[in-house]
Amino acid sequence: MGASNSNGTGPYGPLTAEPRTSSAAGPGGTVRPPGAEVVIGSVSKTFRRRGRRTVALSGVDLTVGSGEFVCLLGASGCGKSTLLRIVAGALDLDEGTVTVDGRPVSGPSPDRGLLFQSPMLFPWLTTRKNILFGPKAQRSRGLHERDDPELEAEAGAILETVGLQQFGDAFPHELSGGMRHRAAFARALMTRPSLLLMDEPFGALDAITRLRMHEFLLNIWQQYRMTIIFVTHDIEESVLLADRVAVMGGKPPTITEVLDIPLSRPRDAEDVDTEAFLTSKRRIRSALAL
Amino acid sequence: MSPVRLARTVNHDLVASEQFDLAAHRAAVRRSRARRIGIGAAGLILILLLWQAASAILRDSVILPSVTQTARTFVHYLHHPYPTQSKSLGVDLAISLRRILIGFAIGTALGVAIGAAMSASRFTRQLIDPVIEVIRPLPPLAFIPLFIVWFGIGELPKEVLIVFGIVPIMVVATVAALDEVPDDLRLCARTLGASRRYALLHVQIPAALPGIVTGMRFAMAGAWTSIVAAEIIAATSGVGYLISQAGDYLNTSLVFAGIITIAIAGLILDACLRGLLLVVDPSRRS
Repeated sequence: MGASNSNGTGPYGPLTAEPRTSSAAGPGGTVRPPGAEVVIGSVSKTFRRRGRRTVALSGVDLTVGSGEFVCLLGASGCGKSTLLRIVAGALDLDEGTVTVDGRPVSGPSPDRGLLFQSPMLFPWLTTRKNILFGPKAQRSRGLHERDDPELEAEAGAILETVGLQQFGDAFPHELSGGMRHRAAFARALMTRPSLLLMDEPFGALDAITRLRMHEFLLNIWQQYRMTIIFVTHDIEESVLLADRVAVMGGKPPTITEVLDIPLSRPRDAEDVDTEAFLTSKRRIRSALAL
Repeated sequence: MSPVRLARTVNHDLVASEQFDLAAHRAAVRRSRARRIGIGAAGLILILLLWQAASAILRDSVILPSVTQTARTFVHYLHHPYPTQSKSLGVDLAISLRRILIGFAIGTALGVAIGAAMSASRFTRQLIDPVIEVIRPLPPLAFIPLFIVWFGIGELPKEVLIVFGIVPIMVVATVAALDEVPDDLRLCARTLGASRRYALLHVQIPAALPGIVTGMRFAMAGAWTSIVAAEIIAATSGVGYLISQAGDYLNTSLVFAGIITIAIAGLILDACLRGLLLVVDPSRRS
């Protein structure tokens, strides 16, 4: 918070060559925080259940820069979701440290938005009320004093950003799969997170909707420039989306390699056919020892 | 940051691919519901026609009075007292309803409270679960003599009987409903900035309400079974008592009128609960 607009580069620092259009500006012209810097240092986690110990993570190090898009890639059970949940504050770590913008993580926070494989919308609330849930919950704790008209205006702008302006009064069951995911996005964006944590968010979608969601996500990220940590087991998805891909695996599980993806931005579905894209995929496959 | 080629805007191509008209969708849902209600009503009318035809063939109003005769009896005794018990059908209905509503309110509140306590703590669950599992399969009617010995023959034993029948149903429904709320839904609320208390009140409880209200519908059906049986066995008022009196005097059309009274009252109470279900679970509106 508190980023100044006086230098004319917007609240996210100097961004891109393209000026953001009115629809691409932060909804309502609100000031959004720049992407958070995440530092994960020697994190280990062991689950104990019925006397059995399972090492989920061992000595994980990773630094994610402000506004960077990093994918955690690996097979099931490699600890990528565990790591994401530790950063989200939903799981305690056994050893090591996780700091976001220099502050150690303790418990969930609206600064760190979390998106799941299922959109997790509240089925008894309309899209608009789902989106307003976060700000209202925070207001009840005295975290801000924005009044209803101001929140409604921001919700309206965000609905437009995600292309759901006509569906504010629809209930989640009345939306299509892709629309539900966009609504979940909108809800997370309302709390102005500086970090978005995404746990295989498009894993349950059909292939075509998924391609659309990739484009949607890249657009949103292009506009807001929050930091994103994105968990996936899909190599192509990770190359299309990420600045860097952290490959996870091994016994005990850890990050085995971090690869740069040297593709230009913005990217879209057509990039998957390029030589550079295929080279990146090959490098990841060999890092996964496939 | 690499130079940018302008990305296609988010809104238009996404929405164009998934355009549908919400108002038209809802109108279609309403039409299909009207159709469903129409077909259902036709089914009921068909049964009444078969009944009327059967009574015309049998020509014995003690075995099977006609629909019209039953309707006349129903309307007459709604206001006029039945000779052997000096109360009208309307008064008896009010008495039965009062017993049901008191028992239902207390039983539901107790059941939800116990269920919530069981869902919240493993100790309470392990402590209470066997008790509920032992009580649940018992027919409440077996306890009528016991409750008469304990609580006399007034209103209290009937209300206790209803509570006794409802509590296990509501406990099981509440525990299941609360258990089924995904942990991630609560986590989601917390990452959106909700305190634990806010997440409980605004997410966990609303998410469990459809299951709890569905449990209330089962409990209400059980309450009618209990009260009518109790009134037939041990009461001097209520629709159940009137039915047994009418049966004793071979006034079959009044027996039918009593049964239909229970059916209508039961339908209306269930309709109220279904209405409540639609409020707490919008996805059932379609």
